[in-house]
Order: sequence, then structure tokens, then C-alpha cells
Amino acid sequence: MSIVLEELTKVYAGRRVVDRVSLEVGEGELFVLLGSSGSGKSTVLRLIAGLSRADGGTVTLFGRDVTNLPPQARGVGFVFQNYSIFRHMTVARNIEFGLRLRGVSRSERRKKSGELLELIGLGGLGGRYASQLSGGQQQRVALARALAYEPRVLLLDEPFGALDAKIRLQLRRTLREIQQALHVTTILVTHDQDEAFELADRIGVVDRGRLLEVGTGEELYSRPQSFFVATFLGAGVVLHGRCEEGQARFGRVTLPIPADLPHEEGGPVRVLIRPEQLVLDPSPGTEPEGTPTLGTGTVIEEIFAGSSKRVRVRIPEQAGLRQIFPVAPFGETGILVDAVLGADRAIPDEVSVLLKGWRVLAQPEPRVLSLGEAPETAIAAAKLARSIKAVLTVLGIAKDSDRVERTRSEIRSRLGEDASGVELRVRAGDRTEQVLSEVSESFYDLVVADGGGDERRRAPGERALLQRSKTPILFARGGERPLRSLLICTAVGEPGRNDVRFGGWLAARLRARVLLLHVAVGGQEPAAWVHAHLDRGVRTLQALGVDGARKVLPARTPLEGILAETRSGAHDLVVIGRHAGRARSVRGRDDVTFQVLRSADRSVLVVPADA
Amino acid sequence: MSAALPVETRRRRERTAFAPVSILVLILLPLLLMPLGAVFVFALRGGLPAFWRAVRAPEAQFALRFSLLIAFLTAGINAVLGTFAAYVLSKYRFRGERTLGIVVNLPVAIPTVVVGTSLLLLWGPIGLLGKLITPLGIQPMFRPAGVLLAHLFVTFPYMLGTVKPLLDELETTYEEAAYTIGAGRWTTFRLVLLPALRGGLVTGALLTFAHSLGEFGATVMVSGNLRLRTQTAPLYIFAQFEAGDIAQANAIAAVLAALSFLIFFFLFRYTARTKKAA
Repeated sequence: MSIVLEELTKVYAGRRVVDRVSLEVGEGELFVLLGSSGSGKSTVLRLIAGLSRADGGTVTLFGRDVTNLPPQARGVGFVFQNYSIFRHMTVARNIEFGLRLRGVSRSERRKKSGELLELIGLGGLGGRYASQLSGGQQQRVALARALAYEPRVLLLDEPFGALDAKIRLQLRRTLREIQQALHVTTILVTHDQDEAFELADRIGVVDRGRLLEVGTGEELYSRPQSFFVATFLGAGVVLHGRCEEGQARFGRVTLPIPADLPHEEGGPVRVLIRPEQLVLDPSPGTEPEGTPTLGTGTVIEEIFAGSSKRVRVRIPEQAGLRQIFPVAPFGETGILVDAVLGADRAIPDEVSVLLKGWRVLAQPEPRVLSLGEAPETAIAAAKLARSIKAVLTVLGIAKDSDRVERTRSEIRSRLGEDASGVELRVRAGDRTEQVLSEVSESFYDLVVADGGGDERRRAPGERALLQRSKTPILFARGGERPLRSLLICTAVGEPGRNDVRFGGWLAARLRARVLLLHVAVGGQEPAAWVHAHLDRGVRTLQALGVDGARKVLPARTPLEGILAETRSGAHDLVVIGRHAGRARSVRGRDDVTFQVLRSADRSVLVVPADA
Repeated sequence: MSAALPVETRRRRERTAFAPVSILVLILLPLLLMPLGAVFVFALRGGLPAFWRAVRAPEAQFALRFSLLIAFLTAGINAVLGTFAAYVLSKYRFRGERTLGIVVNLPVAIPTVVVGTSLLLLWGPIGLLGKLITPLGIQPMFRPAGVLLAHLFVTFPYMLGTVKPLLDELETTYEEAAYTIGAGRWTTFRLVLLPALRGGLVTGALLTFAHSLGEFGATVMVSGNLRLRTQTAPLYIFAQFEAGDIAQANAIAAVLAALSFLIFFFLFRYTARTKKAA
């Protein structure tokens, strides 16, 4: 191995801009580090060259640990985005600079620079100055200068970033030819995926300082593991569902989960579908046996693209199916997918959307969003996120964009030592609107909101959120209390299965007990289906590995029953189901969900039926 | 620049240029050009032999040579100090960077007489530091060293002002490129940075030299204006005027003016050439 990075880390202002990057690059390989700007990919390159000092980890070049050596002693060639040709030297002297430092004789230097000038296609221009060359020519000179002293490692930092598209293509080809001719181990940094696909033997995708995945372009395109790589390379949609009985369930479709990507029962699942993997069947209802069908949709857009056309289909909302990429326009509840068809194929307005291919992604870490204005809520959310091993995002709302920074620092100081590892997000504008946008634009498994204090303060934002959110919302009350026992109220009409499933998943992560409660209204013995439902619930909990019990409690109204059980004090969290979009009042009164939310002295988790 | 202008605007500019140009010349004539002319007219009124005699007078010779020596030393020392200051201020980020940036440029804003006074109050026989070193037999004031100190102080910002913008403009990757190729810090400075700063260095050194040659306010305070010991050319001119020896004063004034012309001529030629090369 010629370049070996182990746990390489760089910290700037308390943030890991390079986060434990480990990588091995083989001799003569052209490796591309691909990432968006600010991802830390250039810093990795600078750490290899010694232009930045590593805060952790090691860099080994051809078996030699160079982690603590200055750049001069590492013997690498480096090409910068801005060329950095020495402007008071001629092109030839620029190229010869490294040889001059190494005491090579003048005649030999001349010979070498002449050869290199031919190699980069600038033969005869050795007497020019940088100011007399175009950007593309300058970058060719920079490449020759970096190769003149025959380094065994060549590093290129966005070398074509400042050039026109056409020159970029030419230079790519030149670079590939030279790299193969000289067989020099090369790492190139870019944000351009076409460049990566064209040049790379292997690609490593970098995001927020971490090297997420490494593979050939083809591997990363067709078999990505992470959500970031799936959406960063190529087009496609990513759908979100849940893992049920070992299968990935997305609304009506159930897809197998590959054996190499273990998923936790009840946890989130994501699937990537590329445009070319979608088949539009013009006659709904006649889809072939065994082909997974996403649903029946309406064609809303056809875009001509030369030999093909892109067809956008809207599939109406389905319980348990959500699109998380691309982000749906605000207010859109259905699924929007793009398919690629031959330009000559006519397509009816109603089509059945079939899948001929897909890629189930690695199970994401659960994500928790904290909305709390109250300090206790943010701390409760931080504790909860830590105990269920979730990524926590804290959302702050600033009145206008000028106050964003102030709000950010206020939240940071409020969180205190809990702030590490927390993603802070500040949005400016109307509170209700911004909260709803955040919840619908980014995907969260759980939202934590203020449950205590003045009700007028949380209305109307949380009320609107409750009605429109498809994400379970936990109204935190009673601060620091650890969640050891969950009360899942299945008394409210026909609750569906989501409250049990989600509550059970949460309980499994929290290692908490669960009591399934049914309130027998009017003291009557409940019907047989209630018992059957409770039995199924307990079995579901057992499948999730949760210690679950059942209870039937007679009471005058569901609310009374739930409150009576809550008051027993044995439960730390009340889980209650809710139908999406239901009016906030039934016959002039709030429905049971709102009543419980108002009257219970515990934290309440509201699970939408279509979560 | 002008090549990029459309033909029509260029033509209009040429046509209307006459009036503003003549107004400018009319203003400059009594302000700048005639006084300079007067120096030469008066210097040569007694004929060349008289002029020559005035210049050859021992005090005059000493004053001219002393001024040139001080100007060379000032330009040399401040070339090094100013470049170093420019490098530190341009390449490092530190607390108090802004304050330091203001402090090093302060000499431009302070009246030179005040500079002279403050030097006396520090180094003079009863000054803050002078009090301590005078018993040791060290006393820079009223000696050539004092004049040099004053000139270094007054001309410090010139070098900085011409070199720092060039350094600011050079990307850090310029040096880093040299490091990765294998050049150490000093080699990089010598072979890569310094040549890139050449234009600023020459301009800054010439400006420092010219300013030092004509310095009066601070010099008159710290030198004690001692003939044949600390008297610079400008001080000599002033002293001769006060003594009523106007012909002597005029002759040296003409020499000083000619020297300054020469420096500026060179400066213009140089900047024009480097501009063309870039």
C-alpha cells in the first residue's frame, strides 16, 4: 500500500473537520475523494501533504510514518486549484524548481523540463511567464512542476475547479494519460461526480469530515449503503419505511432486506430507487405477479430530453410510506417519482408504478428533533436521544434572519455540556410555519416538544403540528425522569398498530417495560376483538424484545380510564395513537388525544396512525 | 484600461480635455512648478563658479554626505524591518493584530516635530531610558545615531505600505507550493517570496530614501543641529537662511531638489516598466 491513513483527525474550533478517516490507496492507483464544499476533503489532502498538522491518527507513505514530518520531507507532488505558478520564474524554471533544490545539474534540469513540457503538451513554451499563459496551461505547468522531482505520491486539490468546462475535459484526459504513463499513486479531490466517475479507479465519498464509503464508481452508484452517498451520486428517490418481521415495509410494498445490511426490528428503513429502475405500467391492476408495485399514480409532468423523456408521477399518500429525498414541496403529501422512458413512448395519465430494481440502504441512526423553548425540554430531549442512541437536532426559531446567530449561541449556552454532538439548526420566521417546514423537509423519527407550562404559549404551533405531522411527537413533562415504563393506550377507538409498533420500538431502545391498556367504556366486558388486538400487541412487543403486559380497565370514559391508570404513578410516558388530520374537537370538545395531553401529568407521546 | 473603452467615449474625452488640463496647469504653476523653478534660478544667479564654491564649502559637503549616508542606512534598515513587519502582519493571525497594524502606521500621522520631542523624552539625558544609559556613556541624542533613530521612526510605514499589499495578494498556496516541492522556510522566502515582492521593495526603499533625505522636523529636534557633526542637508539650508547666507542655502537646496528629481524619475520609470511586464 502506498498511502495509508489511519484514524486521521483534524479539529478546527472544536469541530472535527476530518473525523477519523482511514483509507488505503494502492500503488499506481488514482483515488478520488468526492464531497461537497466544506466536507473536509481538501483538509485530508493537506494532512497527507503535511500542510496541516493532524490532531490524531497517522499518515503512512510507502511504509514510512510521515505524520510528524514537515511537507518538505514528505516528497509528495501537490497541485493547487489556483495553480500557484511562481510568477517571476519562467515556465521551465518553475518546472525545474524541485530539481534545483535537489542539486540536479543545469543540463539535466533542462532535459527533464523539456520532456515534461512535451508530456503536458506545452513543448517550446518553457521561456514564457505565468502571466502569458491561460488558466489551463498554467495548471498543466503546475502538474509538470509537481511531477518533475518524481514524487511517488501526487495530490491534486480540485485541480480543474477554476477552468472552463471544455478545458476541464481536455485536462482530465491529459491527467489520466500522464498518471497511467508514470504510474504515480494519486489522490484527487473534487466535488464533481462526473470527474470522479471518469478519472477514478476508486472513489471515496466524504461528508462532514467522515469518509462514508469507498468503492468503484459503479459500486457506489448501484450499491450505496448510506443515504448521503445514495443521494449525492446520481438521481433517484429515497423512501422511508419501517422494518417489520425482517422485511422492509414501505406502505403497500414489502421488500427483502439484504443479508449484509442487518436491520433492527421496528426501526427505520430506507430504500433508494433510481429513475431507470422504475417501470410505468399503462394498465393499472394488471401488474405481473411478484413485481413490487409502489402504487397507482398520476403523470404530472413530462420533460423532453432528446432521446429520452423524464416522466414525473405522483402517487397518492399511503400510510407508512414517506419520501425523504428529494424533499417534497411544502404541503405535498404524496410521493413524487421520476422515471426515464424512450421519447417515443406515449404514456396515459394513470399508471401503475412498478419496481424492477431497488437498493435497501443501511439502517440509519434514529433522528430526534427537539423543538423545546423551555430549557428542560432540550435537556430531556438530549437525555432521550442519548439513551436511544439517536442523533439529536435542536431547532431554534429566530424572529428574523439578523438574530439567527444570537439564537444559536443562546441555545448552545442553554444546552451547556449536552451540546456536544448535537446538531443545531436555526430558522428565521414565523414559529409555527418554520417548525412545520423543518419537520416536513428533514426526516425525523421523533419530535420532542414542550409539554409543560403555559398552554397558551405552545398553542397554536404544536396544535397545528399535531394535526399535520406524520412524525410521532413527544410532549416532554417532568424533565429528568428516566423513561422506564411506557403506558400504551389502545383504548382510543381503533388505534391501528402504529402506536404499539412505535411505542414498542422506543421501549426496546430504552429497555423499558410496556403496559398495553384498553379502557372498557361503561364497565362492559370488551368484545372478543379487543382481546385479540391486545394479544397481537403483546406478541408484537415480544418480537421487539420488550417486556409487555396487558390490562383492561373499566371506566366511564376513555379519558377517565387513562388518567386513572396514569395517576397510579407506575408509568413514565403515555403513548397514544391519533388519526391524521382529525379535527381538533369532536362535538365541541377536544378529542381524547388532546384531553390526555392537557390533563396527564406525564410526558405524552402521540403517534399518528400513518407514521 | 483605455483600450477597453468604446471609440466614441475616447474621442469625446480627447476633445474636451483642453479646458480641465489648462486649469490644472494654471493651479499647479504657482503651487508647485514655479517654487521649484525659483530654487534653480536663485542657485545659479551668481554664476556656476559661485554655485560650485557654495557646494564645495566644507560644512555643505559634510551636510550633503551625512544626509546621503543617513538616507542609505535608513532605507537599508527599514527595508529589512518593514518587510519583516509586513510578513508578520500579512501571514499570521493573532490577537491584537489590528492594533499592531495601526501602531506600525502611526508615524505617518504624527507630526515629525512631535516624533523628535518624544525621542528626546525617551533617549535624552533626562529621558525615561536616557537617564539610565547616560551614566554608562551611551547617549544617542545630538549624535548621528539619534538622527538615524529619528529617520527610522519617521519612514517606517513606507516599506510596509508597499510590501504588505503584495504579500496580502499572494495566496498562501504560493508558499505551500514551494514547501511541497521541498523548499524550507528560508529558501522559500529567498527564492519564491522575495522575488515576487521585488517591485514593492524597490518602490518602498526609494520612498524611504527620498523621505529621509528631506526629513527636517524630527531631525532638528534630535540632532542639536551641530555643524560638521549632526547637521543634515535640510538643516544646513535652514541654518544658512537664518544666517542670511541665501546663496549658500540656495545652492544646497538645488542639489537636494535635483537628487529628489532623480529618485522620482527612476521610480516612475521602474513602476512603469513593472506595470508593463505584468
